[in-house]
Amino acid sequence: MLALRNVTKSYGSITALSGVSLNIGPGEFFGLLGPNGAGKSTLMSLVSGLRTPDSGSIELAGQPVTGSSFSVRRNLGLVPQTIALFPELTAEENLRIFGGLQGLRGNLLKAALDDAFSAAQLDDRRHSLVKTFSGGMQRRLNLVAALLHRPKLLLCDEPTVGVDPQSRNAIFEHLQHLNRTGVTIIYSTHYMEEAERLCSRIGIIDHGSILALGTLDDLLTRLPFEDEITFPVTALTAPLAVELASAGEIIAVDGTHRFRPRPGYPLSVFFALTESLGLPPRLFVNQRPTLEALFLHLTGRKLRDV
Amino acid sequence: MSQILILLRKSILSFWRAKAAVCITFLVPVVLIYLFGHVFGLYRKDSGPAGIPIAVVNLSPEPAAQKLIDALKAEKAFAVITTRDIGKGATRPLTEADVRAGLHDNSYRYALILPMDMLPVDDLGVRMKFLFNPRNEIESQMVNGLLQKTVFSNVPQLLGMSLQRYSRSFLGKERFEHFNRVIADTVADTFGGDREEIFQRNIAGDFGIADLIHAKADPVPPVPASLRRLYQPEQMQANREEPSAVNNHSAAPSTSAPLLNHESKNENQKSGDLFSRIVKIDTEQVAGKELKNPMAARLVGGYAIMFLLFAVSGSAATLFEEKNSGVFQRLLSSPVRPAHILWARFLFGVILGLAQITALFCAGWVFFGLDIFHHVGGLLAVSLSAAAACSAFGILIAAIAPSAAAANGIATFVVISMSAVGGAWFPVTFMPDYIQRVSKLTLVYWSVEGFADVLWAGMSLLEVLPKVGILTGIAAGVMLVAIWRFNRGKLFD
Repeated sequence: MLALRNVTKSYGSITALSGVSLNIGPGEFFGLLGPNGAGKSTLMSLVSGLRTPDSGSIELAGQPVTGSSFSVRRNLGLVPQTIALFPELTAEENLRIFGGLQGLRGNLLKAALDDAFSAAQLDDRRHSLVKTFSGGMQRRLNLVAALLHRPKLLLCDEPTVGVDPQSRNAIFEHLQHLNRTGVTIIYSTHYMEEAERLCSRIGIIDHGSILALGTLDDLLTRLPFEDEITFPVTALTAPLAVELASAGEIIAVDGTHRFRPRPGYPLSVFFALTESLGLPPRLFVNQRPTLEALFLHLTGRKLRDV
Repeated sequence: MSQILILLRKSILSFWRAKAAVCITFLVPVVLIYLFGHVFGLYRKDSGPAGIPIAVVNLSPEPAAQKLIDALKAEKAFAVITTRDIGKGATRPLTEADVRAGLHDNSYRYALILPMDMLPVDDLGVRMKFLFNPRNEIESQMVNGLLQKTVFSNVPQLLGMSLQRYSRSFLGKERFEHFNRVIADTVADTFGGDREEIFQRNIAGDFGIADLIHAKADPVPPVPASLRRLYQPEQMQANREEPSAVNNHSAAPSTSAPLLNHESKNENQKSGDLFSRIVKIDTEQVAGKELKNPMAARLVGGYAIMFLLFAVSGSAATLFEEKNSGVFQRLLSSPVRPAHILWARFLFGVILGLAQITALFCAGWVFFGLDIFHHVGGLLAVSLSAAAACSAFGILIAAIAPSAAAANGIATFVVISMSAVGGAWFPVTFMPDYIQRVSKLTLVYWSVEGFADVLWAGMSLLEVLPKVGILTGIAAGVMLVAIWRFNRGKLFD
């Protein structure tokens, strides 16, 4: 569906993308995970034809993506990071304009509007001015405005920034529904939870380069540990610290400690040790490592610190 | 084209929904034009200023000096001050020192001094001194004109007195009286009238003796036609009552003609008739004489263009808002090119401009009786081309400015400068030569002149086409520069 080959883009002396190569197949839900300034929005703008790469090539469905190619643009929909709507107009007027620009007329446009309002759960507000909508409603409308012409590729550039949990879930469900109907989705985010929940394949991007690429399971195998035990700082007594020093790695994250046992270290040994030291088991929570841990492992920084 | 029309519709809808913008675009200019109409006196029934204080020092013993002061007092434009308060309700006549001090401390800005030798014995002519403090240049010119008119209206009589006084001094009393006696006899023999009365008038320097010879003027046949015209009261009266568009004035400056106060003129008519026929100036207004309110034509046209420039500049600045909101991203990722956005915005500016100009000229019709319905074709052509030029200007501002705030700042500076230089506020003919040359580089100048051609001179659509062409050329040129700048700028980046 989409192929990027050695794509580079710079703004003056700043390199936003550096030799990025990427293949995304039809029907994929691809996550682009990285901190702010990593190059996610630049990649989105290049794929959507808003900007042209300094070098390299981008093809969508076998056609080169260029600024003037209308046929390519009709195959994609862009959900910008900001609320890209006309606040003085009603929701329906907004969608009529965007649908009209995509070439939709008459019954086709009407059907597209009905579907969009139903999907955004805004049927009863279609004649209200957008400026009267809550942030979540505007986000939902912002999303469906990119779907009126039923694009084959949907580009979502951090579409849930500042959205309440209810609207976020509604957006997620709709995106998953779209993906099930065959729409290819590229979803950029700096929330690892969103990438983990939604995406079948994830690319971790930082400083304009793709650091890792694969399914969630693939990516997590790159970590030198399989488990991560989180416990309060107060639980790390001196005897425990001595015992664990040779069994794995202890790091401090967000006011807690995390113990990452070396491969092959049995967890039963860990819990027997804590019990023998009189530490209650409820203080220790074992979980699968997250993308956050992978990013930290790959870059030495936390996603949200950047 | 459909993309442009969709975006145009969007702009119109957005504008119409923004009630504050609609109000600022239409209501505010109409209200301001109404207020400016009051400020510039478009509603007043009389003409000219009133009550400008002018100090008069009369040192002359001549009765004619007092007559001149009375004539000045009869002018509504002046509040004549001849005395100074010295306390306890007492006053004394002003002195030259008083008025000089008063001019310095702005008690008054104009003073007329009638000297002791106002009518010199040893020379021919009238002497007086005019002192002024030109704090307001336009007022000074106006007062000068009014004063000259009043003085010149009295000069014929004063000159007559001066001439007779000089003649008496030159000829001696006996020969002078003999000379005038002979003239009085000849006039009485030829035209009739009381020879003693004619003699007394002549030696007093009052040559307006038509009333004395009326009874016997017609029956005497052998008088040359030119001399008869000079002395025939009927002809004089007929000349005075010619149609209003063609006025006969005496040697008074023609620039002051619209400010003439006819009451004061009648006072001096009798003695002035002889001299007014020696130097006769016909003035005729050849354009705009049928206008109910000619000044309104310029006022509405000028201010319409200024407000239009502000409106389209503000509208163009919203391009930055759309960019920042991500709308451009969405639009440009769909089958829309930057050119579509720009041309849609340009067309919106033209439509907005036409609507605003129409509203303001309708207001001009309601408030000032501006005749817009007999010039629809020409007015539409000038309005359309002016709106196109203004809209292109707004796009250019958006093209060269780095942000919405900068665009608003640049627009305010350029619009005000261009309006002042281009003649939106007052005619460019009042301005220095180099400013007049610069004004021709502004779209305001050609728009205002175009409106004046249609509304003032009543030019047809064909006649006004050159100015329409210039405005269209400005619109095309500015738009080309704007598009070139957009291609190099960051608005669509």
